[in-house]
Amino acid sequence: MVKPLQRKLWRDIGRHKPQFIAITVTIFLGVAIFGAAWDSYTNLVASYDQTAVEYRFANLTISGGDSEAIAAMAAADPEVESVELRTTVDVPFRVDGTKLLGRAVGVPVGAQPSVNRLDISSGTYLMSGDESVVLVEDHMANHFDLAPGDRFDVLVGDSWREVTVGGVALSPEYIWPARDRQDIITTPDNFGVAFVSAALAEQITGTGPNEVTLYYSDGEGNEELTVTLGETARELGATNVYTREEQPSNNALTEDVKGLEEMAVFFPMMFLAAAGMAAYVMISRLVHAQRPHIGTFLANGFTRRQVLRHYLGYGLAPGLLGAIPGAIVGVLLARVITRLYTSILSIPLTIVDFYWTTLIGAIAFGVVASLLAALAPALVASRVLPAEAMRGETPSGGGRRSLIERILPPLQRVPTAWRMTFRGVGRNPRRTIYTIIGVVLSLMLVLVSWGMIDTVRHLMDRQFIEIQREDATVFFTGPTSTDDVAALVAIDGIAAAEPALTLPVALSANDEHYETALMVLPDDTTLHRFADIDNGWIDLPAEGIVLGQATRDLFGIDVGDSIHMTLAEGMAVTAPVAAFVDEPLGTMAYVGRTQAESLAGTALPATSALIAYDDGVDSAALRNTVTELPQIAAFEDANVLYDLMQRFMILFYAFVGVMLVFGGAMAFALIFNAMSVNIAERTREVATLLAVGTERRSISRYITAENMLVAAMGIPLGLLAGYFAAGAALNSFNSDLFTFRLHIEPTTYLLASLAILVVALISQVPGLRAIRRISIPKIVKERSA
Amino acid sequence: MTIEMAGVWKTFGEGHTAVHALKDVDLKGPQGEFAVILGPSGSGKTTLLNLVGAIDNATDGRIEVGGIDLANLDVDEQVRYRRENVGFVFQFFNLIPTLTAAENVELVADLTADNGAERAEEVLEQVGLADRMHHFPAQLSGGEQQRVAIARALVKQPPILLCDEPTGELDFETGRMILALLQDISHEQDQTVLLVTHNAAIGGMADRVLKLRSGEIVDDLRNQSPVDAGALTW
Repeated sequence: MVKPLQRKLWRDIGRHKPQFIAITVTIFLGVAIFGAAWDSYTNLVASYDQTAVEYRFANLTISGGDSEAIAAMAAADPEVESVELRTTVDVPFRVDGTKLLGRAVGVPVGAQPSVNRLDISSGTYLMSGDESVVLVEDHMANHFDLAPGDRFDVLVGDSWREVTVGGVALSPEYIWPARDRQDIITTPDNFGVAFVSAALAEQITGTGPNEVTLYYSDGEGNEELTVTLGETARELGATNVYTREEQPSNNALTEDVKGLEEMAVFFPMMFLAAAGMAAYVMISRLVHAQRPHIGTFLANGFTRRQVLRHYLGYGLAPGLLGAIPGAIVGVLLARVITRLYTSILSIPLTIVDFYWTTLIGAIAFGVVASLLAALAPALVASRVLPAEAMRGETPSGGGRRSLIERILPPLQRVPTAWRMTFRGVGRNPRRTIYTIIGVVLSLMLVLVSWGMIDTVRHLMDRQFIEIQREDATVFFTGPTSTDDVAALVAIDGIAAAEPALTLPVALSANDEHYETALMVLPDDTTLHRFADIDNGWIDLPAEGIVLGQATRDLFGIDVGDSIHMTLAEGMAVTAPVAAFVDEPLGTMAYVGRTQAESLAGTALPATSALIAYDDGVDSAALRNTVTELPQIAAFEDANVLYDLMQRFMILFYAFVGVMLVFGGAMAFALIFNAMSVNIAERTREVATLLAVGTERRSISRYITAENMLVAAMGIPLGLLAGYFAAGAALNSFNSDLFTFRLHIEPTTYLLASLAILVVALISQVPGLRAIRRISIPKIVKERSA
Repeated sequence: MTIEMAGVWKTFGEGHTAVHALKDVDLKGPQGEFAVILGPSGSGKTTLLNLVGAIDNATDGRIEVGGIDLANLDVDEQVRYRRENVGFVFQFFNLIPTLTAAENVELVADLTADNGAERAEEVLEQVGLADRMHHFPAQLSGGEQQRVAIARALVKQPPILLCDEPTGELDFETGRMILALLQDISHEQDQTVLLVTHNAAIGGMADRVLKLRSGEIVDDLRNQSPVDAGALTW
């Protein structure tokens, strides 16, 4: 049987239904986001881990140097379970007349490799010794609609060789089809992977195996082993040593999943804090209004513990009502998100588990947040002195002029009604502070979400418009003379062409190593700009190397310090660092052609050309013309890449859009509660003012002004807090692959502020409507309105 | 301002839950009369006061105050009527806690006059609060708060003053002082005062005493020699 106090609790909640619904919904959202994000994160990490184990994803990949000696060295280590020696070569492919940069990865015939196994989604693995049969990686197969039996061409030596698709394969190395760590984003018509017989791969390179992949015992990472093997491999001439974590595809996916982890903490925290404050404001008001009742309870023999429990119930109820369905919805949503995510990315294995800990944890978070919110007012209730509480209401609050009047004395002469508005702001300082915090939290949520959109847009513009000023990059089939590059300008539609030489390079300093690419560009390049992190735009220096800024922290070096570079074939150079550049994507090294040739002691070829279009050129036609040239391997249109990134962003925008809607809902819930309480507390004053002849619309105006003033006070703080929160959120995504510098447009600040003010204005409507329903005779006669 | 009520009914609720707060009340009150309405709780005293003050509407019957038919007033006209004609004094003072005594009065004075601040000071002096006018309600005693409330009611110089249990929250001495104030003001300004109370002793100071029981006027007494409020005792 429900006890009278419990009945009172539910009836009180019923009387304040909109306010408690707002609290419940906010808790629901916070808990649901936590459940969805945390379980999605856990499931995806589990899916990646399981995929890594199932497909024996390499713990360490070593390129260059004496691969056979490196393999033998690794095989001798008992902690290395499997060693695979293979040939990996970048080579042009031609599919239905489209040339693209291909990558041929040699695999053994007749049996899957012992490291980096493939998941054959159609067709069969390479079982015969027929070198013309290859496996096509899933992304390339999808883009070019390739199926078993289809054919395409691979450039072997100087001639195109036709190969037949034997099957379509998923590889743990190419779940995200990144060309390398400095080229994470590629267009599918510009980069594709095929797994070919080891024999064909060696024919393409004309040499033996050039890469070693290692799988440790049980597939577990082993830092000490990695360091030892890496050092020995470098001694044997290896130019690129990367772990599973650093592997380009895995690294890109890990960065992506990290976002979910961040989201699982940051966003729910905001919602639960907001719900907690809304609950605090509401329950405090209830306790204040019910002081005579509390006094009566205590006078009649209720214990303080009973009173405390009763008022904690006002927190517990919305906590449970919001958290239980929120946790269930979140956990269910996580299953949908995980499946959607793994299917979009074609992750071979999807793990969707049910985690009791998440469910219980999510419910606990929601309940604890609301209980904490109820604790302070419940304690106040339990400490009420009965005689005092039953004596009736004494005017509370006020008692002094508002701060703004004290700062600006002329304001003491404004009409009394407006003075009332100013003083209303400071009347209940704690509630005012909580309302301001509510506005701040809402703005933080909005700015973190919106700031990400602005930053990524700005990042893309900076990378693809301001830094990479080329309209397209043309890749040659092999090293080409700079004269061939200059000749490209003769093609109708090409306004300028600059030679670029990209070489894999291992940088080292202070016992740290970093593998990247060294790009040799004309000294006076106009198609690539360099943004010095200290000095703005700079030219390529005549002396010294320009490095991506991530290396500064990694190596602990500064401008003027030396950096050691190991290039292919064991060539090593030490040069001073001339500048660190701020580039959003990747961490490259740059050097001017004159200096590079001087260091090499010979004229250097080009591996690609940066080109600028003539105005109004038909880029598709130009691409066809250029790729028909025999020395051209691929043509990458910067606009296509830009558009592709924009398309990737649609999902991101959708996510941020949902967060904005949630943020709006949170802001509404929080501000609505504060405003409702503010208005409810004034009922007696409002009735009195109405009785003496003040118009309802005037009263509404005063109260609106007061509430809007409080909301407006939160805006500067919210913008500031939002700026720092957005910066912190973005910082967590920074790595050598991506550098996010927070960029929030002024219009975003303006629109976010306006949005909050609009939400504040709308959230007052229910309270103002209540003013219209006020019964003057009833209220003015009540002891405690 | 004269008050005329004829056949006035006020019913709350409907059907079998209907409660008749006033039943067929007839009343005529001349200008400048100090009337005390007596009756136990639930007798309809406050309801009668609310109808005259146009903060509530009669269910049936006619109420005319100074020739204004209250039944025909729309919401805006009711506001104007209250603003220009009625001053309220409530049992619980109902002061705005964030405004000083002077500002509470000025707030209402501003509704009808340009020189609200001056008027507020004058009236506060009149009620004996010259030295307390810049204090906030929380800094005033109950009696002082009620005097502020009276000043607030008087500042518009309303022809009618409606007082609902104005001494209900005050001790004997303070209550008597407030009544004396009301009596003096009524005489000085020739205001019509309707004062509701359940304290029969207060009837002694009135020109007229109306007794209500269960929504009906059961007694209507003229007091030929009202005593000074200061002489009252209960």
